[in-house]
Formats: sequence, C-alpha cells, structure tokens
Amino acid sequence: MSSGLALAGASGNRRWWFFVAAVVVAALPLVFQDSYWRTNLIVCALNIMLAIGLDFILGYAGQLNLGHSAFYGIGAYASTLLIMKLGVPFWMAFVCAVVLAGAAGMALSIFAVRLRGHYLAIASLGFAVIVHQVLLNWISLTQGPLGIYAIKPPPDIALPGLPVISFGNTANMFYLVAAFAFLFYLLLDQLVRSPIGETLTAIREDEISAASFGINCTAWKVFAFGVGSAIAGAAGAFYASFVGTLVPDAFIITESFTILAMVIVGGMGTLIGPVWGAILLTVLPELLRGFGDLRLVLYGAALTLVVLFMPGGIVQAVQILRARIGRLPTATKAGTRQ
Amino acid sequence: MTASGRPAPAVQARPDATAALFYGEGLHKRFGGVQAVRDISLNVPHGSVFAIIGPNGAGKSTLLNLMSGLYQPDAGRMVFDGVDLVGLSAHKRVRLGLARTFQKLRLFKQLSALGNVVAASHIHHDIPAWQYVVHAAAFGRDHARCRAEAIKLLGFVGLEGRASVQAASLAYGEQRMLELARALATSPRLLMLDEPAAGLNAAEVERLLERIRLLREGGMTIIVVEHNMDLVMKISDRVLVMDYGQHLFEGTPAEVQANPSVIAAYLGAMT
Repeated sequence: MSSGLALAGASGNRRWWFFVAAVVVAALPLVFQDSYWRTNLIVCALNIMLAIGLDFILGYAGQLNLGHSAFYGIGAYASTLLIMKLGVPFWMAFVCAVVLAGAAGMALSIFAVRLRGHYLAIASLGFAVIVHQVLLNWISLTQGPLGIYAIKPPPDIALPGLPVISFGNTANMFYLVAAFAFLFYLLLDQLVRSPIGETLTAIREDEISAASFGINCTAWKVFAFGVGSAIAGAAGAFYASFVGTLVPDAFIITESFTILAMVIVGGMGTLIGPVWGAILLTVLPELLRGFGDLRLVLYGAALTLVVLFMPGGIVQAVQILRARIGRLPTATKAGTRQ
Repeated sequence: MTASGRPAPAVQARPDATAALFYGEGLHKRFGGVQAVRDISLNVPHGSVFAIIGPNGAGKSTLLNLMSGLYQPDAGRMVFDGVDLVGLSAHKRVRLGLARTFQKLRLFKQLSALGNVVAASHIHHDIPAWQYVVHAAAFGRDHARCRAEAIKLLGFVGLEGRASVQAASLAYGEQRMLELARALATSPRLLMLDEPAAGLNAAEVERLLERIRLLREGGMTIIVVEHNMDLVMKISDRVLVMDYGQHLFEGTPAEVQANPSVIAAYLGAMT
C-alpha cells in the first residue's frame, strides 16, 4: 500500500516536470523567430530522438552499438523512396520507415548475438559502413551521391474550425518533431520504469548472472535494439521531410560517433542525460561557428574535458553540484569551528 | 545427524528417477585437455541437503555449471523432476525451479540491493504487455507485490535495512547474503549454492547455516558446494566427494569423515 502511494507521488512529481518541459517546448519557436535557430531547434529534437534511442540500447541494455547512423539512414531513405517512387502517403511511409529501421536493428542484433563489447562495436560499425556504401552505390534506387531532391514536408493537417497546419512552416515542423521526441521519451521512460528497466540493467551488468534468473538475454537484447533503432528510423523520416534533400553522407559513420558522444556527454543509463547531451552537442558547434575552423578544435577539446572530468556526463555533474550545495551550510559551519 | 530420519539411497546404486528431485548420470565435461568432470552420477532426493566437496580443481563448480545450464555436458543425462535438462538453456531451467548462487559474486553492482532482488524476480512478473507502456492497475499491483516480496527476502537474509544501498557498496558478507536473496527471488525448488560461506566470518557462517536450515524446513532441496567442512558436516544429509573430476565417495557426513580414501585425498590434506 505504502509503496503504491510512493509510486503515485513520484509519478506526480514527474508529471509536473513533463508539464514544464511541454511549456518550454511550446515557447521555444516564439523565442527563436529566425529560420536559422528554428532549424537548430528541429535538429535538436531529431538528435534527442537519436540519442535516447541509442541510450536505450547502450546505456540500459549495455550493447555497444556504433551503427546508429545506419538506422537513421534506413528510416530516411525508406520513407522518402516509398513516398517518391511508390506514391505512398507520408504517414504510412513514416510507419514503414519506423518498422523497417526497427527490423534492421533486430536483424543486426540477432546476427551479432554472440558478440559483445568490442566485437559488437566492430560488427555494428561494419553494418553502418555497409548501409552507407549501399546508399552511395545503389544509384538506380537512391541516386547515390547525386542525392534526392525536392522531398516534400509532411502533408498539411486541416482540422475543422482551425487554420490549416502547414509543415512548410518551421515552427509547425518543430512542434511536430518535438511532439514525437516527447512521445518517444515518454515511451522509453515508461519502459525503463517497468521491470524491463531492471531486466535490461541486469543484462548490462552481468549476462551470465541475468540468465541464471531466467532472463532470456538474447530476446531482450533484440528487443532493445528493435526499440532503439525504430526510434532512429522515425528521426530519419522526419529528417528527410524537413531538410528536403537526401545524400548518403548525411548518414556516414561519424554520425554514429556524434550520437554516441551525445549519450556519453549527457550521461549513459539515464534518459534525461542524453536529452541534455543532444541539446549541448547540437547548439555548441553552432555557437562556436564564429571561430571558423578553430571550432572543431574547441568542440573536440570540450568533449575530451567532459569525458575526462565528468565520466557520468551532465547528469553526474548536476548530482555532484546538488550534493555540494546541500552540504554547503554544514561545510561552512565546520570551517568556522576550525 | 540431520540425515537420521531420511531413507538414504544406497551408495553407488544406479540413480532412481522417481525418488529424486534431481538426478544426473554419467556426466562428462572436458575443456581442451582437461577432463573437468568425469562420469559423475548423483541423486538428490526431495527436501534434502546435498553437499559436494573436494579439493580445489576437483570439478565441483563445473558440475554445478552443468546442472544450472551454463555449460552443456559432453555426455550424460540430467533429469529434474521428470524433465530432461540436457540441451535446455540456463534461463529456461530457472522456470522449472532451479536457482543458483555464484562462488565469485555476480551481483548487479549498479543496482540497489532491492533492485537486485527485483531483477531476479524476472520470471514472476504478471503484467499485460500494454501495461509496460501505460502503467495501470495490474502494473501497480505487480510492482507492489514484487517490492514487498523482495523486501521480505532481504529481511530473511538480514539486509532489510540495506535495501536502497548500491550492491557494490555492501560489505562482502552482505553481498554474499544478497546473492542468496536473489536466488530465492526465483522461488526455486532446487537451490544450488556455490561456496556460500567463502569469505564469511564465524558469525556470518552461523547465520547462513540457520537460513539454510529454515529453507530446508520449508521444503526446499539444496545442493551446496563448500570448502567449509564444519558447515558441510552440520547441514548435509548426503555428501558427494569429488577428486580430479571423478567420483571419490558418496555417503552421509559421518561415513565421509570415517572414509580413509576421503581423508587421504582431502580432509587429511587440510589438517
């Protein structure tokens, strides 16, 4: 009974935070009116989707996946080709892209089920290289490096009694992508707060031990890969319809490392960490643009410093800071006594 | 001796499938050039405490790994409560009612003590699939039940005050008891303990003995691999002695203590 009440209390607190986040998201396009920053907002929301999806695979299930860019690319190309070659409506193509990317993730994890650690990292990296090369060289389908142009934004939504919502408008596009990022966050949050959270953590911590409590490690790893890569597929579909052009190099393997950096900088194994990591690593390079080529050096240096001094990422830094502020009064007391 | 009231199977008789909860016959396991387990047969009756002893490297842990499904035997049969275990993976054997602890602790270090036990009760969740996404009534009931049971198990091993402590921060003796609580979270019928007393002080061993007695009184069948002879002699009904992967002797603790070949191979070497 008491634990049930505690649960209700905790979720009540979280509900309040979700409300605050929704208000902030709603206000953002009003604060940032120019198209440059609105574009960055949308990229932020896309990167949040990618980062939380990877975190589910890496931070919770502990599977070192370096092929996340491949699922992003599969989602983008699948939805675009379905729309442009077969005339499939956007939302149906979107669903197909999500399913296809998820299936690709599951297929990779089934194939790589005996691999872990560095070996899985190399296998997933290889997968990302293969997907990139296929996109680049299957010219009859993807037009290779020439790219696909004039991809339409998602269709307008006309609700009775309201003005037509057009996604050619960057503010509306941001709301759409942010709403989905929010939805996926909620989904993963619910999953990791269910017994699935403990099951995946058990697999991350010790697979042999997990198996001896009846956990089917293979099935759960496939599940984590499926969910994480499906979310990347959704991000890909939105990316294509937002940017309007597709080239294979948007999904080159370095993109995987960028997403990985977002997860690590934010704090692996927490969901909120990768959100902050994605925002920071999207906005920081833009803020450093004034430094010209030096910005990459600064970006790299900032990343190195974070990994060296805050291995738990932003989440850990906040925890340490909170603990220090909490201890401050007693610390000063001890100081005056001496 | 605790074995007094129990009809013990005749030494060296062919294991009888119907009387035993677990029986293994002619088990072999080879790692490269090392024959870790050679032609081991054992017969564990319902509700008994069955000890496996032997010098280091005798193959005791390998035998336990064969029984729990971490390894598959090269040859031999294993039957648990009428179900053939050979070829069945470790996670499936747990659902039949086998559980184990590890000699080298394998806790989920980043989870709390409570989280470890909750993770170990994986097979007991009763939640409709959609409620993993939308937490509703059945989810809340399951959550409350699993937590309550986990706290009860922590209480049983004396860790009720340490529920929220990260497993890695627990004292060594506490970590050993947490291993026991986790294994119990699967509600096993056959509990296999791999050197549960290793590294425990005398008071902790005493508490462990008491827990094992309580479990056995509750009807649980227990296999214990142990170096602590005092513990083995106090709690076991039957003792299997292994040496160099082979069957050396099987009998009651008193018979084991009196057997010259066992004393030569093992007890003699210790004193």
